[in-house]
Amino acid sequence: VPHLVEQRHNHATARMNNTTAQNAAQAEAIGAYRWILSGRVQGVGFRPFVYRLATQLGLTGTVSNRGGCVVIEAQGSVESLAQFETALLREAPAIATPTILDCAPISLNESLCERGFVIEISTNAESSAPHVTPDYPVCEQCLAEMHDSGNRRYRYPFITCTQCGPRYTLIERLPYDRPNTGMAEFSLCPQCSTEYSDPGDRRFHAQPIACPHCGPQLQFVGRGHAPLIGNEASLAAAVDALAQGRIVAVKGIGGYHLMVDATNTTAIERLRQRKHRPHKPFAVMFPWQGTDGCDAVREHAELSAVEKDALTSAERPVVLITHRKPQTLPICLAPGLKQLGALLPYSPLHHLLLDALDRPLVATSANLSGEPVIIDNAVAEQRLADVADAFLHHDRPILRPEDDGVVRHIARRARPLRLGRGSAPLEMTLPFHLTHPVLTLGGQQKNTLCLAWKNRIVISPHLGDLHQHRAQKNFEHHARALPSLYGVEPSLLIADAHPDYHTTRWAKAINNPTPRRMPGSSGLNSLDSGIHRDDEQAIDVHFVHHHHAHASALCGEHSRFEHDTLVFTWDGTGLGPDGSLWGGEALFGRPGQWRRVASFRPFPLLGGDRAIREPWRMAAALCWETRNDWQPLSVPKEIYSLLHQAWQRKLNSPPCTAIGRLFDAAAALLGLVDVATYDAQAPMLLENIAEGEGRAVPLPHAVDEAGVLRCDWQPLLRHLLDERQNVEQRVADFHRTLAQTLLVQAEYARDKTGVRTIGLSGGVFQNRRLTETVVDELTQAGFEVLMHERIPCNDAGLSYGQLMHCLPLLQKSERQ
Amino acid sequence: MTTLHLVTDSSSEPRVTLAHGNGGRHMRALIEDVFARHLSNPLLDIQADAVTLPDHHDGELVFTSDGVTVQPLFFPGGDIGSLAVHGSVNDLAVSGATPRYLSINSFLEEGLPLTHLERIVTSLAQAARDCGVQVVTGDTKVLPHGQGGGLYFGVSAIGVKPRGLRLGCTRIQAGDAILVSGPVGDHGIAVMLAREQFGIRGEVRSDSASVVPLTQSLLDIPGLRFMRDPTRGGLATVLCEIHRATGLGITVKESHIPIRPAVQSVCDMLGYDPLYLACEGRVVAVIDAAQADEALARWRVLPGGAEAQRFGRIDGNVDRVLLVNDWGGERVLQELEDDPLPRIC
Repeated sequence: VPHLVEQRHNHATARMNNTTAQNAAQAEAIGAYRWILSGRVQGVGFRPFVYRLATQLGLTGTVSNRGGCVVIEAQGSVESLAQFETALLREAPAIATPTILDCAPISLNESLCERGFVIEISTNAESSAPHVTPDYPVCEQCLAEMHDSGNRRYRYPFITCTQCGPRYTLIERLPYDRPNTGMAEFSLCPQCSTEYSDPGDRRFHAQPIACPHCGPQLQFVGRGHAPLIGNEASLAAAVDALAQGRIVAVKGIGGYHLMVDATNTTAIERLRQRKHRPHKPFAVMFPWQGTDGCDAVREHAELSAVEKDALTSAERPVVLITHRKPQTLPICLAPGLKQLGALLPYSPLHHLLLDALDRPLVATSANLSGEPVIIDNAVAEQRLADVADAFLHHDRPILRPEDDGVVRHIARRARPLRLGRGSAPLEMTLPFHLTHPVLTLGGQQKNTLCLAWKNRIVISPHLGDLHQHRAQKNFEHHARALPSLYGVEPSLLIADAHPDYHTTRWAKAINNPTPRRMPGSSGLNSLDSGIHRDDEQAIDVHFVHHHHAHASALCGEHSRFEHDTLVFTWDGTGLGPDGSLWGGEALFGRPGQWRRVASFRPFPLLGGDRAIREPWRMAAALCWETRNDWQPLSVPKEIYSLLHQAWQRKLNSPPCTAIGRLFDAAAALLGLVDVATYDAQAPMLLENIAEGEGRAVPLPHAVDEAGVLRCDWQPLLRHLLDERQNVEQRVADFHRTLAQTLLVQAEYARDKTGVRTIGLSGGVFQNRRLTETVVDELTQAGFEVLMHERIPCNDAGLSYGQLMHCLPLLQKSERQ
Repeated sequence: MTTLHLVTDSSSEPRVTLAHGNGGRHMRALIEDVFARHLSNPLLDIQADAVTLPDHHDGELVFTSDGVTVQPLFFPGGDIGSLAVHGSVNDLAVSGATPRYLSINSFLEEGLPLTHLERIVTSLAQAARDCGVQVVTGDTKVLPHGQGGGLYFGVSAIGVKPRGLRLGCTRIQAGDAILVSGPVGDHGIAVMLAREQFGIRGEVRSDSASVVPLTQSLLDIPGLRFMRDPTRGGLATVLCEIHRATGLGITVKESHIPIRPAVQSVCDMLGYDPLYLACEGRVVAVIDAAQADEALARWRVLPGGAEAQRFGRIDGNVDRVLLVNDWGGERVLQELEDDPLPRIC
């Protein structure tokens, strides 16, 4: 990519001996250049920024949006042009990510000089830029205005500018112009209109711009009262209700939150009861306090620098932080866990609420268990009638639901556990151009979609677990809405190989539509909600095995397509190519070609899916497989003996090698949990209880008939049952043993193949203790370690991984 | 030199041998002693190649055919003999017909104890009498040892249906109510527990029974649209079939589906879904919502109908089969990809 600055630098080097006078003359020389910039440069105030910069430097010319790019033509002194180029990248608005695609000299244009610098307003066709920006937290300038009693947007909960506010959640279709957003119904008042059309204004072409006169308003609906309309009255009522310990459903950016006083144990317990959610941790929103905004968080938590940066980043995700000792917030926020999901206010409304209450609030996605977050006022009142005491609505529609993203500090970085508001849609680039667009469908849980076309990749926000009907409908809606947002028609779907995943069934139904038996019936056929295109153009479907997708996702993120990597794919369970349930596999190879080199001794999942919800079954299975005696106190004798008979007869007991299930077994054996009430409860409890470095229990490894090195967990089981040591110590030993096992398997693979690069992927590596131990041990043993950085290591990464796994094949077919 | 060891049964119990299938004396003796003796009726002529049936001017003929296999052959609440009758009789019954005639083809495995065969045929005959059907023709074959699970039946059945009675998916409309005549999953669990020889087998009995009285009791209700007996694949599969055939959605209240606590707890333990387990004596009916209570009332006074429930409705507002729990949570009932309890029917 040619850069003016680089060209100039080369010239300067060549002219080392030139005189100062010559230099000055050179600097005064007039030049003209055209830059084409790509990246996130639209809908982020980039053109007004360019306008201001050029005007400051005395340049003349134009800036315009063309396709997905910004095109700048500028003329002036060569010195100013060079400054201009440097500043274009360095001083760009915080939320813009410009890259220079091209820079070329153009001929001087006299007429340009007369017009000064001009923002050329693009026609719709030209501006049909298929870039969609994530939602941003309210910026400092807007926040200052909101707190300024002299400002016309004083205390206005929907204050925004080009540098902040909702984007993805507000966009109905592209191009990103106001009529195509949720703001279409709100016509601008004269004052807002002036700001909107002034290129020098921060709100120039800020599509969600609004003010108390022309913009959205709050509405409060409590029990037994007439609804309150108006910002101040509604806000006061909501603050009052929350202060009294009531549960309020608050409409935010990507959906409703259920909010309740996070210092009020009774109120939190009430929310748990009404949501039928006995243990799953709640996220807590803290007031923005102190110079860095984190003072209120620090009052209750130990905060690492990484965590602080994550909390205040533009993504404003939920960040897992560690309670102070002794814990100052109620235990029931996250029973049994030392960590808590914290986030800071990101919408102006959050700031107003939290400032008024001056205490942390539970801020959990408002939905019924397993369903998508609610975005609609009427649906909220209907679905949450038995949960919320009151509703703080507003009349700005949410067009695309989006949960808060989640990150955790693991091995020196804040790593994403969930893509959401602020972090998604996540854009990445392909190493080559696709001629046929591809949509990959992810897995059954923590679902995301991934769309790829040309050289672009877009990963959707978290769509959740697809067990429930509404979640499935939501998935189907997005599988259609995401491609349509970008004007792309996928001709290839990629899904998981598990036949019972909703995503897989849906892909098959699209690929092979069942003819209706009753043409003309009034009912909806399930295919109507899909991408189905009247059989004219067949949509191909590929299937990728779960752990191949995990491994490929990691290699894709690190662009490792040409070299072999050993990737440990440790997770809950996924269908392996041999028909058994995998989850403890070391895969050697590269995207598109993986070979299993190491795994674990298989054990049965007693009762299939039941075993995953009831960790005591895993413990029982491991004990029975190794003739150990163990029975959980909470399980009646008859049931225990019935399950034992089922185990003897191998009834509904598919074999599995998943590390996530070993965590389940360990947690049950140690009496921490018999029946889990949320995903990953057992491993989270285990990680929290571990104390000390831990000592590895040596485990035997042996190569099986298929050439796979298998680790036998039996001595570890015996160690867990050994009550001479305390539970905390045994849990630490459990973690250390798994880390040691991984190292042994890695060294075995190095001996066999020479591989020195080790990857870690799969939900197990959300466990900080295990992961950091593993990274230390591998590094000490001379390995290079690859981990996820932008893509979650859990099943949210599957959609991207499915694409990466097929990439070599797609590239080959493109070449032919 | 080789010594031949003749395998002799310690109890020297008489068993089915290949000779019983060779068309000769042994076969004739078996048919006369076992089948004809228990199944005798005026139309059954074991010498004839075909049977002539009397005219039936009172309605239309309905014809069905069924293959019957089950392991074990005997289970709490029934055996393969009674199951053979109930299976085909019920297929006729849900179409609105009164079952009249059966044909029974028996595939006997070499080695089957004759006492077992006799018990089964006795049970079959009793079930046929109870249902008011006659076994009017049949055939017997013997399969070499290891090639049959003891005994299979091929059953065909003929019934008579009132002229003009039209039941079927095409009649189903949005808003219709869905009823089930009794608890689901009993047969599937009873057979599984018996087959796997669990210690608790006595608690759950198969629901194997004729549903003729239940189906007959609704025939004069004009809003009756469709009936089906939920056998293999269970209640959920019937609902999926209705959905596929009509294109209409279905909403089901989870707590309104009758399931015995013992069945539920075995399912919970083993990780099975009772909605996908076979019944052999239940009816699912789709009926005009306004006449659903009348239908329920009629069922509840009949044997096998006391626990009948209205549990769902045809729902024009959804596009799949939805199971709604008490908290409003919604789960989709899918067609099975794999059989959870293979070989049970």
